[in-house]
Amino acid sequence: MSMASNAGTDATGRRDDEWSLCLQQVAQSDRAAFARLFKHFAPLIKAFALNGSAMAAAHAEELVQEVMIKVWQKASGYNPQKAAASTWIYTIARNCRTDMYRRLQKFDTPINAEDIWPDVESDELFAAVQQKRDAARIKDMLETLPHEQAQILVKVYMEGKSHSEVAEALDLPLGTVKSRVRLAMKKLQLTVER
Amino acid sequence: MINYHPDTRLLNEYSSGTLPLAQSVCLSLHLNYCDQCRRSHQRLQQLGSALFEDLSPQQVDDSLLRTVMARLDEEPEPLQYQKTAANEDDCPPLIQRLMQGDYEDLEWKSISKKVHISRLRTGDVDNEFALYRIDAGASIPRHTHRGTELTLVLEGGFSDEEGHYEVGDFIMRDAQQQHSPTATRDRDCICIGVLDAPIKFTDWKYRPINPFLKLQAS
Repeated sequence: MSMASNAGTDATGRRDDEWSLCLQQVAQSDRAAFARLFKHFAPLIKAFALNGSAMAAAHAEELVQEVMIKVWQKASGYNPQKAAASTWIYTIARNCRTDMYRRLQKFDTPINAEDIWPDVESDELFAAVQQKRDAARIKDMLETLPHEQAQILVKVYMEGKSHSEVAEALDLPLGTVKSRVRLAMKKLQLTVER
Repeated sequence: MINYHPDTRLLNEYSSGTLPLAQSVCLSLHLNYCDQCRRSHQRLQQLGSALFEDLSPQQVDDSLLRTVMARLDEEPEPLQYQKTAANEDDCPPLIQRLMQGDYEDLEWKSISKKVHISRLRTGDVDNEFALYRIDAGASIPRHTHRGTELTLVLEGGFSDEEGHYEVGDFIMRDAQQQHSPTATRDRDCICIGVLDAPIKFTDWKYRPINPFLKLQAS
């Protein structure tokens, strides 16, 4: 099947455009497009679940179902100018994994993940373009990050560990974990140094 | 103008979803006021997304695709989400949800004549989430912390030994830091305080109640 004939030459960019296009087709209730999206992303969502808490891992396939159904339901709200399809799907997976964990822990809460990470839209086109540029840059720079820094980011983002839990898992002082994260942020130009 | 922000650790733990619920609510409310941290958060989500794409894919059976395809019909129609606009003038929607009404509708308990507290239920049983109302010019008695205290100003402003804080400012204090927040004279101050352990008063007048301070998280 040929997709994204107008995609750029950059390999990373092309992949993003391909899935963004596919997601826009899903928004039109295109089931074939949904199946393509599923085949690519479901194995990543499953990996994301297995990397998480023991509880999330035990419910990996349930999480895959939940995330993919949300993708189907929310596809019409996806704005390709604002984010890559992968980023959009990742945030849904993070939200579902967080909500699932709290649900399984029998957290009685009036708040869900979508309240905590609201999808705040920026109306300026400039900001949207800037965001896509950021995404491409982050991806490229991630490759150049020293292993000792990248490893910590994986533990925080994929395994859902706090900095103290990472310190414990890697048998490092908390201060070392914090300073490695700060170095990584500086290199990736992610946060304002404070 | 927002002058005080969460640090790198807090932002990372918030964006990745590892921060406890009550603290995440506090961060989320700060983002409501702060463009700069909102942008940082968006970039951190892109970082998360890049790491997500680098995971080694795990085998998913075709039967799961069939199950999901079959469920698409049973699920409700695709939802249309409303955009959440950041608005500096309004009380953030998330806090309105937690209060289920207005500041006036809450049950305020007095800490002193001019300082009141109203605890809100977030579902996080390890962290107390409370609103403090400090009358114009009044102070919270000098105290230190046994754990971490996150503070976010919702209305008015206050000062302590380290600075002056206005609406949207985010402050983190830990065990070593002693302070006595004082509201500005011109108006009452309302702020959020998230505690993972009870505070400890250092003023002789209030010290006798220290042993009775319990965290009331719900």
